[in-house]
Amino acid sequence: MLPLLDRRLVIVTGKGGTGKTTVAAALAIVAAAAGRRVLVAEVGLDEHLPAIVAPGARPVGYDGRDLAKGLRAMRIDPYEALAEYLGLQIGLRGVVRRVFENRAFRQLMDASPGWRELITLGKVWHLEQMQDEQGRNRFDLIIVDAPATGHGLTFLDVPRVVGSAVRAGPLRRHAGWVEQMIRDPDRTLLLPVALAEELPARETAELVQRLREDVGVPVDRVVVNAVAPAPFPPGAGDLDERLARLPAHLRIPGAPPVAVLAACAAHWRGRHELNARWTQVIAESTELPIVTLPRLAHGARGRDALSVLGHALVREGAVAP
Amino acid sequence: MKTPLDPKAVIRDRRIVVCVGTGGVGKTTLAACFALEGARLGRRTAVLTIDPARRLADALGVAELGNEPTDLPRERLTALGVPPEGRLAALMLDMKRTFDALVARFADSEEARQRILGNRIYQHVSDALAGSAEYSAMEKVFELSEREDFDLIVVDTPPSQHALDFLEAPRRLLEFLDSRLVQILLHPAFAAGRLGFRIFQRGTERVLRVIERISGVSFLEDISEFLLAFEGMSEGFRERARQVQDRLVGPDAAFVLAASPAPQATSHALGMLDRLAAARVPLAGVVVNRVHLWPGVGPTPERVPEQEQDEAAVAALAAALAADAGADFPANDAARAALACADGYAGWVRDDAESTAQLEARVARSGGFVRRVPELAGDVHDLEGLVHVGDWVFGGPASGADAGRSEGA
Ligand SMILES: Nc1ncnc2c1ncn2[C@@H]1O[C@H](COP(=O)(O)OP(=O)(O)OP(=O)(O)O)[C@@H](O)[C@H]1O
Ligand SMILES: [Mg+2]
Repeated sequence: MLPLLDRRLVIVTGKGGTGKTTVAAALAIVAAAAGRRVLVAEVGLDEHLPAIVAPGARPVGYDGRDLAKGLRAMRIDPYEALAEYLGLQIGLRGVVRRVFENRAFRQLMDASPGWRELITLGKVWHLEQMQDEQGRNRFDLIIVDAPATGHGLTFLDVPRVVGSAVRAGPLRRHAGWVEQMIRDPDRTLLLPVALAEELPARETAELVQRLREDVGVPVDRVVVNAVAPAPFPPGAGDLDERLARLPAHLRIPGAPPVAVLAACAAHWRGRHELNARWTQVIAESTELPIVTLPRLAHGARGRDALSVLGHALVREGAVAP
Repeated sequence: MKTPLDPKAVIRDRRIVVCVGTGGVGKTTLAACFALEGARLGRRTAVLTIDPARRLADALGVAELGNEPTDLPRERLTALGVPPEGRLAALMLDMKRTFDALVARFADSEEARQRILGNRIYQHVSDALAGSAEYSAMEKVFELSEREDFDLIVVDTPPSQHALDFLEAPRRLLEFLDSRLVQILLHPAFAAGRLGFRIFQRGTERVLRVIERISGVSFLEDISEFLLAFEGMSEGFRERARQVQDRLVGPDAAFVLAASPAPQATSHALGMLDRLAAARVPLAGVVVNRVHLWPGVGPTPERVPEQEQDEAAVAALAAALAADAGADFPANDAARAALACADGYAGWVRDDAESTAQLEARVARSGGFVRRVPELAGDVHDLEGLVHVGDWVFGGPASGADAGRSEGA
């Protein structure tokens, strides 16, 4: 298992709301702090990442901006990527601009499926190929915050589909390059982010299976995010039950009623046990090492919180299945 | 403010109930829960999921869901209080099969049908590319609503960034078929590859040249042939798309928004309200799922105590715990942990109330219902779990009080 910091391209994926953007940001922060030149690219209509890293940050847009030393962020907008691609292919920016102004063209593109995914991955390929003046890679590590699974797999499958739907021409050739990149274990890693609950756990198992069987994108570990830490100290594993046994009339000045204390304690114990159980299931069903990230009590925003998660993410010795 | 709708009345009276919402908020669970309530009210109910992740099959406890309705066994339904006239069937959209069936229906000849199904472009757009889920889902809903053997159709919409892709799919498809470029590609001579671009207006010519340059001329020919094959059926298709849309925004249908208190989920949900309003789709209500509620106060959270750990409270609680424990019980640490659990939980309750206030107030103002389902200790993964969720959605009219609180906030 090559350390995450030494990868070229990490595509973070998972169900909606599992923490993909948080994980992408956390990895970007520790990698940049470790001296890597990092690009983190958010895919989709909205930008969340800059504001997670630095609350209140302005959007970074397609051109991107450095959020910290060695940490560049951008959002890949498919139309902008398409304009750039056509500009490179045709060479005449004016022609491309007029094509984009053509209403029929916009209509055609708005209605056509698939090209957004392809052009987005094409842009990632282009970024991966970029070099600086010394001929070194422009970025050491590129992190892509991919759309939620379901769409996430479609996203990765599009180059193959285009390869078989288009018979000839540059498009076919370029789709081939993209496909080679995302299937190459030396360059690409898909990093699934899951939550340790029943349905996300099952979906993750399905995702990994489909990745292995159909899509062929390398995956070597699963991130299980927001795991509730053990809530009670050693020797007090049944604290919730003890609280429930306290006399109902007991009043602790400055504290909620004991019944409420018992209910809250039971909630945390329930979540912790549930998380532990489903983490185990994810490990067994995917047969992959698991990296767990704690559920942070005060949210996962800002550089400090993200660094905590980032270090947990890159710490070696992930739990083996 | 109008009298809010009642979720139970919606399930009892409407013919189509569409659950919208971003991914990860429990839309599929909610759809299953609505469908179960429909069956319990004695309606013959079908629930359609588009979710490829099989959540619905899991929750309903059926092994496989297919493109045709599968009935839940009668014994199970009876045990859940479904009367004999009620029925609950579930299906999972098979995009390819549904689209193929559509083609078969509208193709004007067997030859046209074969030509489409064999076309390279068709083989891909109909199943592999993003967006076709919505086209097919619309079609399936319509097909179900035409059937005589179901009274209620509950739809779980595809996970997508644009909640309304689903609703807008037919319009986009029509716009696409009507667009000038497509009309040109529909020219038979174009498909035959004999026509130069020169006869077109300059703008169009330029676009075609760009596409050709990138994709090769054969791709344009394939597209053209595909569209040509579609042309014969586009009238039927157009008519159908119009009917589907009419039915979905008509009085027999209801849209319910599924949301969760996660800040991103609520901002998505607010965006969705705007888009629904712009599309003139009336919203029946919102269900906010996985809300942390303060123990013992039921569905309406009251003010939650916010407190620093107070050493006297730690000592008093430690003493109470120690009274009933062995000498080696870490009473002090345990008391601290117990208070921390309550503080942590109170934080969730406060955050959730704050992040959902605006959403709930907006829905309530427009006369929609507002329901909260608490974050349950376990997962909702079986029929009993669905009944439990249903108790929160269809139980007492807590929404009025909720809305008042939210608007005051
Ligand atoms: N380890 C954690 N501890 C506490 N909160 C977390 C943690 N990870 C993520 N969160 C919170 O969970 C929410 C969802 O996280 P995030 O936006 O990263 O998810 P996502 O998978 O990118 O969502 P989407 O599918 O909407 O893009 C955010 O509010 C985030 O702050
Ligand atoms: Mg995200």
